[in-house]
Amino acid sequence: MSSRKAAGFGATILLVLALVLVGLFVKGPYILHVFILIMMRVVLASSLRLINLSGQLSLAHGGLVTLGAYTSALLAMKLGFSTWLALLVAGVLAGLVSCLIGFPFTRLKGIYFTMVSIFFVQIIVLTVQQWRGLTGGASGLYNIPRPDGFWGIEFKSKTSFFFLMLIVMLASLLIMWAIERSRVGMTFLGIRQADSLAESVGINTTGFKVLAFSIGGFFAGLVGGFYAHYVSALDPTAFGFLFTIYILIYMIVGGAGAFAGPIIGATLLTVLPEVARPLESYMPFVFAAILMLIIFLMPEGLVGLPQRLNRLFRKTAKDQADVAG
Amino acid sequence: MDEINVLQGVLNGLTCAGWYVLVAVGLSLVLSIMNIVQLSHGEIYMIGAYVVYYFCVNLGISFYLGFVIAVLASGLLGIVLERVFFRPFRGKPDQALVLSIGLILVFQNIVLAIAGGTPKSYRSPFEGVVKIGSLALSTERLVIIIAGFVLIGALFLFIRFAKNGQAMLAISQDREGAALQGININRLSAIAMFVGCALAGVAGGLVGALFTLTPTMGATVLMKGIAVIILGGLGSISGAVLGGLIIGLIDGLVPVVTSSYMASLIGFAIVILILLFRPRGLWGHE
Repeated sequence: MSSRKAAGFGATILLVLALVLVGLFVKGPYILHVFILIMMRVVLASSLRLINLSGQLSLAHGGLVTLGAYTSALLAMKLGFSTWLALLVAGVLAGLVSCLIGFPFTRLKGIYFTMVSIFFVQIIVLTVQQWRGLTGGASGLYNIPRPDGFWGIEFKSKTSFFFLMLIVMLASLLIMWAIERSRVGMTFLGIRQADSLAESVGINTTGFKVLAFSIGGFFAGLVGGFYAHYVSALDPTAFGFLFTIYILIYMIVGGAGAFAGPIIGATLLTVLPEVARPLESYMPFVFAAILMLIIFLMPEGLVGLPQRLNRLFRKTAKDQADVAG
Repeated sequence: MDEINVLQGVLNGLTCAGWYVLVAVGLSLVLSIMNIVQLSHGEIYMIGAYVVYYFCVNLGISFYLGFVIAVLASGLLGIVLERVFFRPFRGKPDQALVLSIGLILVFQNIVLAIAGGTPKSYRSPFEGVVKIGSLALSTERLVIIIAGFVLIGALFLFIRFAKNGQAMLAISQDREGAALQGININRLSAIAMFVGCALAGVAGGLVGALFTLTPTMGATVLMKGIAVIILGGLGSISGAVLGGLIIGLIDGLVPVVTSSYMASLIGFAIVILILLFRPRGLWGHE
């Protein structure tokens, strides 16, 4: 194990420990809620990055989250499913739907794919609004059951949801990390770098792109389901176009090139509006400004900051040495 | 009775077609000249409508003056966007696309801060109803149909006969080849953005009188525009006209039978089918 790897491993362990300590000792519901939001967005932005590994920038995420949220809520409410089964079905259904729309959408490459993927959000939101008998239409759903308790754990307090989401997040990140390191992940990267070359050496590029899109869709559906049971109310516009844009911004600002990128982006940009309350009504503007600064000045995202500073210091040190010499 | 409903649906459909084509042609132009998906195009349309509202209602001057200023302002905004945001990212379409997403937030937030979130409305001076037999079409809708088709006709003539138009065609066919022939890509990108955004401003100013204005009104229009250019063929102006007619007629006719929701769904289904069986669009080449 190289020292860099060891450092990364150590930092991860410390972060997880810190989160467990937060769950154990922080009792303020507001703080816990912010943490839960962060963890949800970390999973969403990371799953968006997983899709991006295969060279596709998707703007369908809001639709998949909505789909997962309503599926899980309705299965538990109308068909009496256990909430755990409902959650799983929500993820799988969102994955399947991504697979189905993935085939026509991946016909288009690059920016054209991004363009059509926006449609999906609109269609899902419209459908939820129109299908009043099932989804409650524009007024939404209320009293969605909380997750069923087991082994004496009741899901009522923020702390219990904090730990549930922590487990969901760690499991999701672990799976995504494993996928990225596997042969499949390597193939995604290959397709991103040279689409037609990958195709010409016999890689089924459409299949792998759809696979990436489906896995991303699964996690989006899962987080949607969690949200439904956590907040216990849903409305059709909660995860619309704007929500999708924000997830994209978390990923780009943090850095789409590194695994830690979306994690950093989602964390900082969830905390920012909470600490900068007076600026609340200008938040979209602030987010856009941050996004633009990143794209203009640091396209690799915030993860590239240490390296840039390092280079800068070394350069000034060298300059001084030159002057002295 | 039914026949009349259908004909009425066709008239409404033509109105939608004129509206969608005006928006989609700008998207298509920018896409083919600059290779950029300009997702804040819907916001240019929104700004066009708000400028007319400002001159018409807030200042109470006149619709016509407001309209002219709105069209010019949208066009100039297009030039600024090209120069500041899109020119540095030529050849990096992904980053330009993400920037245009940022612009959506910027424009919506600015309009929200200035005009507030309450829906606004203004009346156009085109009052009255034109009757053809037992069919009725309000004058303001007729104006949209006429403006749509006249302006797109003019754009065709421009591309066919003007030197700059021919240069645009050359860029859309082969960017490097065009540059080697001495065509100034920077200048033509600016012209393309000006024309495209001004057309979106025309659409905003005219259609704004039919509906209420909100800072988020651009999103729906963007979706329609995207559907139109995928259907017609990416980067093809004639394709955009054909696609606009199809999507417009669907939006006019389908609600006669069922609902406008079904119209959106059918439009979406057609786009999916096109992507599956003819990804280059109905009119696209390559």
